[in-house]
Amino acid sequence: MIKTIDLGKTVQTSEGQLTILKGIDIEIKKSEAVAIVGASGSGKTTLLSLIAGLDTPSQGQIFLADQELTAMDEEQRAKARGEFVGFVFQAFQLLDSLTAIENVMLPAELKGDPEAESKAKELLVRVGLDHRMHHYPRQLSGGEQQRVALARAFASSAKILFADEPTGNLDTKTGATIIDLLFELNREFGTTLVLVTHDLRLAERCDRSILIDSGVITAEPIQAKASALIES
Amino acid sequence: MRLGLALKLLWRDWRSGELTLLLVSLLIAVGTVTTITLFVDRLQQALLAESATFLAADRVISSNQPIDPQILTEARTRGLGQAETLTFLSMVFSSERAQFAAVKAVSDTYPLRGELITSDKPFEFGEIVTSGPPPGEIWLESRLLPSLDVQPGDVLDLGVTSFVVSKALIKEPDKGGGFSNTGPRVLMNLSDVPLTEVVQPGSRLTYRYLFSGEKQALDDFQAWVEPRLDENVRMFGVKEGTEGIGNALDRAERFLLLGGLLGVILAGVAIALSAQRYSLRHYDHVAILKTLGATPNGIDGLFITIFVLLGLIGTLLGSGVGYMAQIGISAALQPFIPVELPAPGMRPIWLGLTTGFVCLLSFALPPLLKLRSTEPIRVIRRDIEVGTGSNRLAQLIGVVGTIGLMWWYSEDIELTLMIFSGGLVALLVLSGLAFILLKSGRVLGMQAGSVWRLALAGMQRRGQENTMQILVFGLAIMLLLILFLVRTSLIEDWQAQIPVDAPNHFAMNISPEDVEPIRNLLVENDIRSQPLYPMISGRISKVNGEVAKEREERETQTDDQEERGPRATSNRNLTYAGEIPDDNLITSGEWWAADYVGPALVSLEKDLAARNGLKVGDALEFTIQGRQLDAKVSSIRSVAWDNMQPNFYIIFSPAALEDYPSTFMTSFHLERENKIFLNGLLREFPTMTVIEVDAIIEQIKTIITQVTMAIELVLGLILISGALVLLASIQASMDERFKQHAILRTLGAGRRLVMGSLVIEFCVLGLFAGVLAAIGAEITVYGLEEQIFELDYEPNPMLWLLGPVIGAVLIGLIGTIATLKVVRTPPTIVLRGLN
Repeated sequence: MIKTIDLGKTVQTSEGQLTILKGIDIEIKKSEAVAIVGASGSGKTTLLSLIAGLDTPSQGQIFLADQELTAMDEEQRAKARGEFVGFVFQAFQLLDSLTAIENVMLPAELKGDPEAESKAKELLVRVGLDHRMHHYPRQLSGGEQQRVALARAFASSAKILFADEPTGNLDTKTGATIIDLLFELNREFGTTLVLVTHDLRLAERCDRSILIDSGVITAEPIQAKASALIES
Repeated sequence: MRLGLALKLLWRDWRSGELTLLLVSLLIAVGTVTTITLFVDRLQQALLAESATFLAADRVISSNQPIDPQILTEARTRGLGQAETLTFLSMVFSSERAQFAAVKAVSDTYPLRGELITSDKPFEFGEIVTSGPPPGEIWLESRLLPSLDVQPGDVLDLGVTSFVVSKALIKEPDKGGGFSNTGPRVLMNLSDVPLTEVVQPGSRLTYRYLFSGEKQALDDFQAWVEPRLDENVRMFGVKEGTEGIGNALDRAERFLLLGGLLGVILAGVAIALSAQRYSLRHYDHVAILKTLGATPNGIDGLFITIFVLLGLIGTLLGSGVGYMAQIGISAALQPFIPVELPAPGMRPIWLGLTTGFVCLLSFALPPLLKLRSTEPIRVIRRDIEVGTGSNRLAQLIGVVGTIGLMWWYSEDIELTLMIFSGGLVALLVLSGLAFILLKSGRVLGMQAGSVWRLALAGMQRRGQENTMQILVFGLAIMLLLILFLVRTSLIEDWQAQIPVDAPNHFAMNISPEDVEPIRNLLVENDIRSQPLYPMISGRISKVNGEVAKEREERETQTDDQEERGPRATSNRNLTYAGEIPDDNLITSGEWWAADYVGPALVSLEKDLAARNGLKVGDALEFTIQGRQLDAKVSSIRSVAWDNMQPNFYIIFSPAALEDYPSTFMTSFHLERENKIFLNGLLREFPTMTVIEVDAIIEQIKTIITQVTMAIELVLGLILISGALVLLASIQASMDERFKQHAILRTLGAGRRLVMGSLVIEFCVLGLFAGVLAAIGAEITVYGLEEQIFELDYEPNPMLWLLGPVIGAVLIGLIGTIATLKVVRTPPTIVLRGLN
């Protein structure tokens, strides 16, 4: 489902070139749940944004659902995102001018799906927000906002779900509820899940983890090594 | 992208208040432009209509002979209003006395514009009437009554017929300054003329055919008529007909246009600022939409659709608001406007609608198009700058839109380009200066107390936005200053043009032996007069040895540079003088010594010289009364034609024309109540002619008062839209300020500190903007006055005080009031919103 070949990202800073990622080769199969783990600044979020087509690499190739992202322009990448990809972000990223249901409807509306509203309703019921459909994000708690974001992520019938620290802004209990919901939905929809986190318990629930350290993948991660790295 | 989605997003944006500011700006922009254009249009129409009363018509054909009746038939078919007048000089006789008078015979439809004022007693305001005397009656100008020793009701003889003097004529609309209107007026009915038998073959007659109607119909008619008129017959409207008024009206129109133009720019800036803010607030939205699969083209389509929809709503509502506002303003001002305002036309409304749309597209599109280049990665990393890919295109759209709009609006590419390029240069220079000012502010601030340091540090941290804001403030203040300065010098110029004691009577045909007695009489009666100038008719027959007519034909064929202006070969009134007349300025060469003796020298008026390619040193041969006289051009002069004094195209050195028999002329000032003096003067010197121009001066003064009023009104409207721009600009920086001050307050800064830093920040911004505005205004006013308004530029020292003070006070005040909310909002609310 996802494949990268010799992926690298460098940026120009005032102190010269900075390598964020280097020589990344990964392969993620359909319906697999993979955690990308690493310390702050290790490059894990950059990796996620590259394979999700939100950003462009400095070198290497990315294949998403058998299509080469790296050969596309922004127009085509946007189409690919709309077709295959769903997102859940740490900061929820809901449009605060839209109600919960309008936020969830948005992906389907962008595709011109006439059943956007009924699908959105269904999903909001599924995430337990049937009583909050017409509330604005600012009227919802953090956990509720993230549930809206989850509903929106699945609303586009995405094949791949990218989640960037989905519990980062939530307390432990709410975070756990959200994660349960995320994995449940993931199973139901048969989605491929790519999850960026520094929460090892969360990483453990995935099929496997990819450990990033200073922009490179360290050898197939051993849990102990990972925790040592993250805790240090 | 689909309309449905755009509509939904528009509605959702509106509901959440995101669009309010933009829509309000648009409403204000369209409203202001519509208000100003509608009002100016009505005022212009009114002024033109009012000034049409100077002709008693909208258009006039003036001729020495009756014109082809086919022309009158054509005018009738075209539905134009028509009247006729016939003017001639004749003696009128009472039982005791006789007096030379300028008789005007008018048809029943006269006057087509304006009104006549008559009275039962001479010199008293009586009643307003809209037509001339009926057959069998005549009306006499007030001073004729005592000089003929008659009262209303008495009988006078004109030619072989007797008429009843039924009224004293107090005012007639078209008593213009033309030389045919010499002598006191007798008004009679046109149908009575044949009975008098005074009009014989060879009589000096002036036929005037008056027309009235819609402008378009008149223009069409004029285009049809002109090829059918003889060479020496003219058709003209009020502007060509009366020089002084035409000039005032032209300048006033230009000013009103300028006001409107500046209004458009201000409105555009307001829209641009709100659109900028809208875009800024939507970068995150777009990033999210993009992660959800919206393509860059899709984003463009979506937001353009939203804006077009918004534009439709905004412009329609705006023009409605403008229409209502204009009705309100007109109603409120009606008592102060000395003219009746005609109903507004459709063009201004159309103009307002289009203006709104073009403004929206050219000012709002640039920030809007930037939305497409929002990187979707922004959802993860907020610090990602929004790309500048489409910036150049966006700027191009803005530039083309602005120029196009200004051009369309003013129908004057010269004015447009001047204002635009002036603005552009000012903008470039000013942004550099603004940046330096900000930097220096920071250095000063470091040595100041904490409130100051906070304010100045804040200003500098947001250096780019503040440079922008100073520019916008500066631009708004600059436009206001420009308008104010141009208005002031226009009005001063007009007032200087017709000083209180300007000569209002011309005396001509004075024989040489009467020169001394008349001069003495004027002095004895304490009447201020100009010197007596000799007047000899003559023309230029050769230029540098070449026959002038041939030279003229050759020149008109070969060069097309100066098509307008007086021709050298026409017969002109020549004079000679030792001293240069008042208000004449030598532009090249030298004026001769007052006691100059020697070969004849001439001084030429500059338009005459330019039109005919004459320069200092040219040898001219004149034909005067059948004799030839050689003279050398020694100087070129500019002449203030509208100063109501004897003015000459060609002046000879003293003694050059002494051998030629001549008459003399002068001008003097006579108050209305002293007009009886004319009777004595004319009785004593019956051969001289007095032309009374006091009526026309009175009328010019009225027009100037009205135009001044119009200009001040427009200035007021622009002032309001300027204030709105300032508000929009402050609104645009609101989010940033909320954030900054919320953080400061959570860190323990008191309200006083936050408030103080806000006040200082705005005052300093205003001060800087004021300095820039003063620089920009001085430069632009120089260009405008020299090039467009043809006024003499003088530096404006007041400006350098006014600009910074206005800036600091105005922006300090508006800014502080507008941001009070920042201080009042509890920081928790702001910080929660920031998340």
